[in-house]
Amino acid sequence: MSRRQKDILIWIGTFLVMLVICMPGLWVVLSAFRPNGEILTKPAVWIPRDLSWDNFRAIFGFGDAVVAIPVGSYFLNSLIISVTSTVVAVVIGMSGGYAFARYRFPGKGAAFLWLMLSRCVPGIALSLPLFIMWSWTGLIDTKLGVIIVYTAINVPFTVWLTEGFFRQVPRDLSEAAQIDGCTPWQAFWKVEFPLAKSGIASAAIFAFLTSWNEYALASQLTRSTDSKTLPVGLMDFTAQFTIDWAGMSAMAVIIIIPALVLTFLVQKHLIAGLTFGGVKG
Amino acid sequence: MAKTRTSLAAALAASTLLAAPLQAQDYGTFDGYTLRVKLIGGAQYEPLYTLIPEWEKATGAKVEILSRKSHFELDREMKQDIAAGNIGYCVFSSHTNFAPQYNAMNQPLNDLIPAEVVAEFSPLVIQHATVDGQLMSLPRHSDVSNMYYVKSLYEDADNKAKFKERFGYDLTPPETWDQASDQAIFFANPPDRYGTHFAGKDEAITGRFYEMLVADGGKLLNDDFTAAFNSPEGVMALNWFVNLYREKAVPAGTTNYVWDDLGLGFAAGAVAYDLDWAGWAAFFNGKDSKVAGNVGVALAPKGAGGKRTGWSGSHSFSITQSCDNKEAAASLIMFLTSHDAQMMEARSGLLPTRTKVWDEVTAEFEAKGDTFMVEVFKVFGESMREHAFTPPLIPEWGEISNALWPQLQAAILGDKTAEEALNEAAEEVNQIMTDAGYN
Amino acid sequence: MSRLRRFLRDNAVPLALLSPAVLVILLVVLLPLLFSLYTSFSNYRLIRPESLWDVVWFRNYLRVLGDGDFWAALGRTVLFLTLVLNLEMLLGLGLALMVNRLTFGQRTMRTIMMFPMMFSPILVGFQFKYMFNDTIGVVNNALQSLGLTSHAIPFLVDRWLAFASIAIAEIWMSTSIFAILILAGLFAMPRDPVEAARVDGCTNWQVFRHITLPFLMPFIYIAMTIRSLDVARAYDIVDVMTGGGPAGRTELLWTLIARTAYDDSRMGQANAMAYVSILLSIFFTWYFFRKLMAARKHLGVF
Repeated sequence: MSRRQKDILIWIGTFLVMLVICMPGLWVVLSAFRPNGEILTKPAVWIPRDLSWDNFRAIFGFGDAVVAIPVGSYFLNSLIISVTSTVVAVVIGMSGGYAFARYRFPGKGAAFLWLMLSRCVPGIALSLPLFIMWSWTGLIDTKLGVIIVYTAINVPFTVWLTEGFFRQVPRDLSEAAQIDGCTPWQAFWKVEFPLAKSGIASAAIFAFLTSWNEYALASQLTRSTDSKTLPVGLMDFTAQFTIDWAGMSAMAVIIIIPALVLTFLVQKHLIAGLTFGGVKG
Repeated sequence: MAKTRTSLAAALAASTLLAAPLQAQDYGTFDGYTLRVKLIGGAQYEPLYTLIPEWEKATGAKVEILSRKSHFELDREMKQDIAAGNIGYCVFSSHTNFAPQYNAMNQPLNDLIPAEVVAEFSPLVIQHATVDGQLMSLPRHSDVSNMYYVKSLYEDADNKAKFKERFGYDLTPPETWDQASDQAIFFANPPDRYGTHFAGKDEAITGRFYEMLVADGGKLLNDDFTAAFNSPEGVMALNWFVNLYREKAVPAGTTNYVWDDLGLGFAAGAVAYDLDWAGWAAFFNGKDSKVAGNVGVALAPKGAGGKRTGWSGSHSFSITQSCDNKEAAASLIMFLTSHDAQMMEARSGLLPTRTKVWDEVTAEFEAKGDTFMVEVFKVFGESMREHAFTPPLIPEWGEISNALWPQLQAAILGDKTAEEALNEAAEEVNQIMTDAGYN
Repeated sequence: MSRLRRFLRDNAVPLALLSPAVLVILLVVLLPLLFSLYTSFSNYRLIRPESLWDVVWFRNYLRVLGDGDFWAALGRTVLFLTLVLNLEMLLGLGLALMVNRLTFGQRTMRTIMMFPMMFSPILVGFQFKYMFNDTIGVVNNALQSLGLTSHAIPFLVDRWLAFASIAIAEIWMSTSIFAILILAGLFAMPRDPVEAARVDGCTNWQVFRHITLPFLMPFIYIAMTIRSLDVARAYDIVDVMTGGGPAGRTELLWTLIARTAYDDSRMGQANAMAYVSILLSIFFTWYFFRKLMAARKHLGVF
């Protein structure tokens, strides 16, 4: 067998494995285009007979559905909340990561560990006290309230990822730039930041995915179309006595697509970024 | 499927509205006032809300719906609102069996709803909505479960002969739960058909166990609010479920079923009979159902104590204590439970709470020649008048249910005996009641 | 006082850079935790706001520690974590090695590999709930169509199948994270030692065992640490799929806490349990973090 043939075989093998892995997800995507009666039935209908955009039309309020799900505002809320909290978390986290990488101060190791550990408090343990505090301060059911929470959740991981990169950037580079007349800020922006770009990109994508898909906290902190996000909106399909799986699948597709596109765009940086500075991106 | 059904109901309601506008009743004038409300959402509940613009027009007020969620989510939200003292609204959807949980925010209605309005409601339902002599909510429509069965199975001569030979009595829709048990075992032919199925988790299985307990002559709580269900009657009631599960007369997954699984399963022809609420009736006999035209309705059977099962409760509307315009709030909830509003809900099979609506909606079905719905309303009407009862109306019903149902499941799945399971649940319930300050 | 002032003056820059991160975490994590720590010593019940002031000291903790269901849930959670983290690691390692061998089309394959990462945990829960449904689920339908079984398998009811089902859902969702982190490690790996070893006549297995794997270890620990940070996300999946039932067969600490807190509205007791679950998470994270630091020091490359 030639090397080329072997490569192709490996590719096909990998592809098959990936296909099996993706199957449950693809089933959801397929369900989004089929009516409820055809998905949940026995005996099973294996070959789709009735593919249409009806489920999408229904959730956007076209067609004969009495209750349209306000997918538009959920989408917008999700987008605003995820993007803002990601940007803020990356800025705050980067500044923290830089502090850990560049400076010595007493209690540094412990501070780093505690910062990480703050991330591992289960959402369910935080949700009630947060709910009560947010009610007292009027942050309940606002986008701002959710943004603050997501920012805090994403900061520790961002600190960790960026710290690794800043540590790899030689100290002399920034100093040399400052001797050449740059301000410390310019030196950072022009010299150190670009070298850590990959780490920042992957921190951002992780933060975005976390915020975009989070449910446990958002389900407590949001209530109306002012702030409800897409995952919380999924629950709209479970009425007291009925679950509309087809509609849910359609909404699932709407949730997945932006995440998929974004990941595809930055995936080169994503992998380089996850080396934690072990190799230069 | 539920969606289609609702849209039909809505279309029907809309056409009736055009034909006969709401009675010109005086709902008062609240010009420029905005009434903030939280309502139960979902396919069966939303068509009523299409009437709200009429109330707005009649009174000059606006209605702002802050939340529209399923009962369980709304319940959670209400508790959180109480915890946070965050009650900036006037009207909320309640349920007679859960209303006591909201005591901290709930405004008694005795002074707000005129006595002559209350007198038009079914006395038993008003009694269910009354706690310590105070009317806590105005009932909207009621729940109670009765028997739906597949007629052809019961009429089949071969089935009749075989049944008689095996059990020694005639095959008819069950009059007692013992007969129901025999029939479930007789009809089971897994995996194509099961005898029956039951909702097997959450408050659903607690409620089913509770009504069986009462029908068998038992009690949930003693007069001093200690657990009374770990009694011989309790064991008998629980063993009814245990036995069917062991005999494979119900689907193995039944412990994960809730209401929608039951309705869809019966409509798919997966079981011989189904104890269920009236809201499904039209669906069972409609075009999406495999058993359409073949559905019989009968009263829920009797337990060993000679009493019929009849776990019941009503969806209702309540007013908050902190409401700044209680007259407007009272006006809206009277509007939403008015004669015409209830007619609209009754047409889709929801059980009305006004005495007169029962007769009128039945007459309407008769005029249309819909004998099936006439039969449904006859059976469920008798059930609501004679046999319906609620769980104890205390705030701890939810907690008691949560202590009970995992133990009921454990017994049904065979992890524990019925005695062990009930004793363990009783211990937990006693602790709950002590913590809540009952003894 | 002057010591504090000197500390502040000497470290002004790093402190200033760190302060936003610390502030936001104080607000969103520490303050709520202090509040819930207090409630764990009270008889706080949601529907009776005045019960917040009813201090019962250690009653909630004593009850929790004396409750067989709690210990069962704790044991099940530890088993669940150990099982899924290890399986995810092994599967992720396999996937990463496979993708790393590709000579073309790798970019597409990487994106496909990350597909499950796009799914919200709550969605994963619904998806597997329907797939494993005992009557109309696609898995049962497939098994019956293929003639592998004649009766409906109650995946979400049977003691071990139900546990396996929630584990499969969790593994499906999170294996990609391991795969992607380990793949990053493979990319970062210097080529020279591997080639040198091959020249010396090492077999593929020997190369993997003695060169690749040691180099990957820090990445594996990083992945383990990251996963133990947010492993409580499994709550969404389990809550949707089984709610911890039936009869507590899939009860994990998090579902037990949620039900006690919101459905029973017994906040005090729920928070007492929540503290135990926090300690558990901290233990897992701390354990892997220590391993990571040790591996880094050992390799000396980072």
